[in-house]
Amino acid sequence: MISAPLLRLTKITKSFGAVRALKGVSFELNSGEVHALLGENGAGKSTLIKVITGAHKPDGGTLEIAGSQVSDLTPTRARELGIACIYQQPALFAELSVAENIGLRLECGATFGCVNWKKLHANALRLLKQIGAEIDPEALVRSLSMPQQQLVEIACALGSGAKTVIMDEPTASLTRTEQELLFGVVHTLKASGAGIVYISHRLEEIFALADRVTVLRDGESISTQAVRDPEGVVLISETELISLMVGRPVSALYPPKAKVTGEPVLELCAVGCKESGVEEVSLTVHAGEVLGLAGLVGAGRTELARIIFGITPADSGTMALNGAQVRVLSPRHAVELGIGYVPEDRRRHGLIMQMPIDQNMTMAVHPKIFPNSLLNFRAETAIGVHFIEKLGIKASGPAALGGSLSGGNQQKVSLARWLATQPSLLILDEPTQGVDVGAKSEIHRLIRELANEGMGVLLISSDLPEVLGLSDRIAVMRGGRLVDTLDSTQATATSVMAAALRSA
Amino acid sequence: MKRYSRELTVAIALSALLVWLAIFAPHFFQPQPLLARLTAQVPVLVLTIGMSVVIISRQIDISVGSQFGVCAVVAGLTSAAGAPLSLALIAATLTGTAMGALNGFLVAWLGLPSIVVSLATMVTWAEVLRLFQQGRFINLPAGVQWFGFSQFVGQASLLFFALGLLGAMAYFLKNRTGGRHFYAVGSDSEAARLAGINPKGVTMLSFVLMGTLTGLAAFCNMVQSPQVDPKCGVGLEMKAIAAAVVGGIAVTGGRGGLWGAFFGLLLLATINPALTYMHIDAYWEKAIQGLVILLAVIADGLRTKRSAA
Amino acid sequence: MNALPAPTKRHWVRHETLLLLMLFAETTYFFYFARNFGTADNISNIVRHSAEMGLLALAMMPVILTGGIDLSVGSLMGLCAVIFGVLTHDWHWTTLQAVAATLLAGLFAGGFNAALIAFLRLPPLIVTLGTFSLYRGLAEATTQGTKIYRSFDPDFLNLGDQHFFALPIQAWIFALGALFFWVLVHRTTLGRSFRAIGFSPEGTLYAGIPVERRTAMPYVLAGLTAAIAALLFTARLHQARADAGTGYELAAITAVVLGGTSIFGGIGSVHGTLFGIAAIAVLNNGIARVPGVLKAGVGGELASMLTGALLLIALAAPILTRFITRGRATQT
Repeated sequence: MISAPLLRLTKITKSFGAVRALKGVSFELNSGEVHALLGENGAGKSTLIKVITGAHKPDGGTLEIAGSQVSDLTPTRARELGIACIYQQPALFAELSVAENIGLRLECGATFGCVNWKKLHANALRLLKQIGAEIDPEALVRSLSMPQQQLVEIACALGSGAKTVIMDEPTASLTRTEQELLFGVVHTLKASGAGIVYISHRLEEIFALADRVTVLRDGESISTQAVRDPEGVVLISETELISLMVGRPVSALYPPKAKVTGEPVLELCAVGCKESGVEEVSLTVHAGEVLGLAGLVGAGRTELARIIFGITPADSGTMALNGAQVRVLSPRHAVELGIGYVPEDRRRHGLIMQMPIDQNMTMAVHPKIFPNSLLNFRAETAIGVHFIEKLGIKASGPAALGGSLSGGNQQKVSLARWLATQPSLLILDEPTQGVDVGAKSEIHRLIRELANEGMGVLLISSDLPEVLGLSDRIAVMRGGRLVDTLDSTQATATSVMAAALRSA
Repeated sequence: MKRYSRELTVAIALSALLVWLAIFAPHFFQPQPLLARLTAQVPVLVLTIGMSVVIISRQIDISVGSQFGVCAVVAGLTSAAGAPLSLALIAATLTGTAMGALNGFLVAWLGLPSIVVSLATMVTWAEVLRLFQQGRFINLPAGVQWFGFSQFVGQASLLFFALGLLGAMAYFLKNRTGGRHFYAVGSDSEAARLAGINPKGVTMLSFVLMGTLTGLAAFCNMVQSPQVDPKCGVGLEMKAIAAAVVGGIAVTGGRGGLWGAFFGLLLLATINPALTYMHIDAYWEKAIQGLVILLAVIADGLRTKRSAA
Repeated sequence: MNALPAPTKRHWVRHETLLLLMLFAETTYFFYFARNFGTADNISNIVRHSAEMGLLALAMMPVILTGGIDLSVGSLMGLCAVIFGVLTHDWHWTTLQAVAATLLAGLFAGGFNAALIAFLRLPPLIVTLGTFSLYRGLAEATTQGTKIYRSFDPDFLNLGDQHFFALPIQAWIFALGALFFWVLVHRTTLGRSFRAIGFSPEGTLYAGIPVERRTAMPYVLAGLTAAIAALLFTARLHQARADAGTGYELAAITAVVLGGTSIFGGIGSVHGTLFGIAAIAVLNNGIARVPGVLKAGVGGELASMLTGALLLIALAAPILTRFITRGRATQT
């Protein structure tokens, strides 16, 4: 082919504060090609997509679309240039009908500012038929299931006539039959000369669909290779891809593992919750143990944590804490029972950004340190000072606002809140996400210390070396179920990744 | 049809009430009083149209009652000074538009919550009016009431006008892209922005439209009587909001339509005379209005919860 | 994009200082230019006439602090006044029984708002708009819109007329209320959780605080306070009537917002609210005594109008200053 590629990115870099999300990524997409993008959680895939769709402006590197360099891309401009993206979370108007959503997105179905409902419906019906989805164009998006909404998104992308279509884990919420529909769309698009950037954690899909694959790791493009040769012979193996994705040496700097573990702190037996899609999870966390919970985003790990913490109470199975049967009905209840939870989303859940850090630290221990409900500012400040020293939090003082701290220090404040409760079980959800290297190893050391003091720790992390380096045992989740439990002495990055990826 | 189930429920409740009245209080349907009753609702209907647009855009405007009073006095003074009716109409709508634009500016561009903004403008305009007019009625010249025609012609033309406006606005909201943008912004203003709509502009427009319609409503009110009561707008915002909410326009934005609001208004407007015929005091009107609003919002809340689960 | 500059403590302290200065200027102006403004009689008058609105504003403060609003308190005052009238006149209850029952009714009505808002999670604005209409409507229906209950137990009326240690009794009740709400908001874990909920209901839930119960509480207290205000109103006017407290919810919200409480929740102080109440009370009383206004007899209107305008300015000022400072920040 002589014509310029649809998309060419050269040495793209992008940082968020101190975190370097992209450290020089090069990527190319040709017409009529399905180019898979592969990488662990946090490898930089989402950031890369946002650069391509104009949502993020890169700090460095060049971006060429159809052979000409584009310097200031905005979402609108990207759309005009024929780039469409199907996000994991559909961005549709919930209160409007399917046909209208498609119409608004494609700016069609209207003549001289007058909505032609017939044409709008016909157009929606045609697009939905084309992808083979049986969705009533008149239905409200609010009434659709998640996979159905995803199909509407796909129909929008198809209808937009885009030359470059980005699919970000499009099958994550789709059932088997809907997947088939999607694959059909991919082939149609490909045949029409469009290029597709395909992101998926399901390796089988990549082998079935992709022409080329680029592996990202830690914000860098590690390798780009053809999936098959012109004769259709597969050129690369599943294991090779996995080792490319995880190919980081496990740091030797992790603290030593537990020597002895105590009684079970948490015992889950076939726990499930329909609302959050977790099914029949059984696991045990012992005192003094760090149990790593690995899996991909959307595997149900955070959902499991939310069940244990009582945000979405379990509707099946049993749970025991320190040997006693319990049903945790609310976070308040969980705190009383001695469960602590450092959530994944610091900004929304972990801290109240507009409040001082000492007030954030005491939030979960109000009844304990303020009997009679009366605040004692001296005691509060003392707690603040204590944890600032103990955890080495860099802040101007206990009265500094949560939002004024760096990510790592915010994480320590969030941790301090739960340490103050002296829980017997501590759940940590992505504790080092968006945290700089120095703070990261401090947090690692701290986690081990806590376990050594007799706490049971459930560590959810997408950072494989972290899970391997820190955990005593590793449980792997996939699709809302617990699929494997490995001993850390035997587990390797490849075996954990393989368990997390293995197709159902 | 499932989509219109909410409107249907209100229409059925209205029909049931009407059937009940037809059986037990056939006087209700005597043409003269019925026509008078319907005409009296024209200003509220015009306000309800504007309020519906504002609520669909996920905002609220509780200053329309005060605005209505100001516009009525402006129109009344213009007429009393001997100006032709058309000039009074223009004066009222311009005044309303300006007041709506102020609300719109504060909400859309300064990002202030519409409830507090309109609360403040509600007090301000009401007091400006009180200060200026001191509660004095304005006596209108002879040619103003019923446009100088007979009562019947006046009533009929007002009704035709109101229904025409309702039809046109319903068509606009349903079938023009400009109308759909109110729904898009009310449903999800971020998604609307991504789809190339300007949410600030749309919000602004909804308040401006509300203001213009308030002026129009005040004019429709003026031509029905020989004088203008400067307190004529008191409580009207509640009636308009109640009609919209009862008619299925969700306060969470993006949902509902004008015909539903129309049925809601008719239902609320029929309750009062129905009470009289049931020998219940008319003083219950406000309580029942409140109860109906609560029922509507509870029903909407439960519906959303169910469909989200 | 959505990283609003975190409001610092200093930010609202500054607001309150500003308000205090304004209050001082206002008082000084009236002291020199308004007729009989500075007399002891008039000062006790100011307190007597603004105690009810002030109490409502104090109760409104925690509601707004949680990010909610309660439009029904004025109407509830009317309903409670009527209940008190009915109990003492038609049902011949003793004053003490009637007072207790009225307070209970206020609690119950506040609890109804709270149940719909906190447990059914309906929008506070529309719920209290509904009960705004419902409570006033019940009051009007009971009195047929016209009936006014007069003649009460003289001991009860003392509440409205008598002085205690040189101050009107209302002043003591108001002071007690102010102390209660100040301690509640600034010195208890409950107040702390109201603030946290105002900033982030989800974040508060994740800290193990029972968000639903905590959200409900300010509405219940507002109901109780409305009942107390209704009793004071009745004692002051010697009348129990359905239109008691009409428009008081607006004045209360104005005082709270003027006092620096953010309408989005989280930020604010009870002492700020006290300054807000004082500013409005002084304005209402003083402006009517300025000779020109006194002659025209338009004090009430002018005061309310200025209050509305003040509310708009109080709302817009922080946002406008942020716009200006941000504009400067991007330029440099």
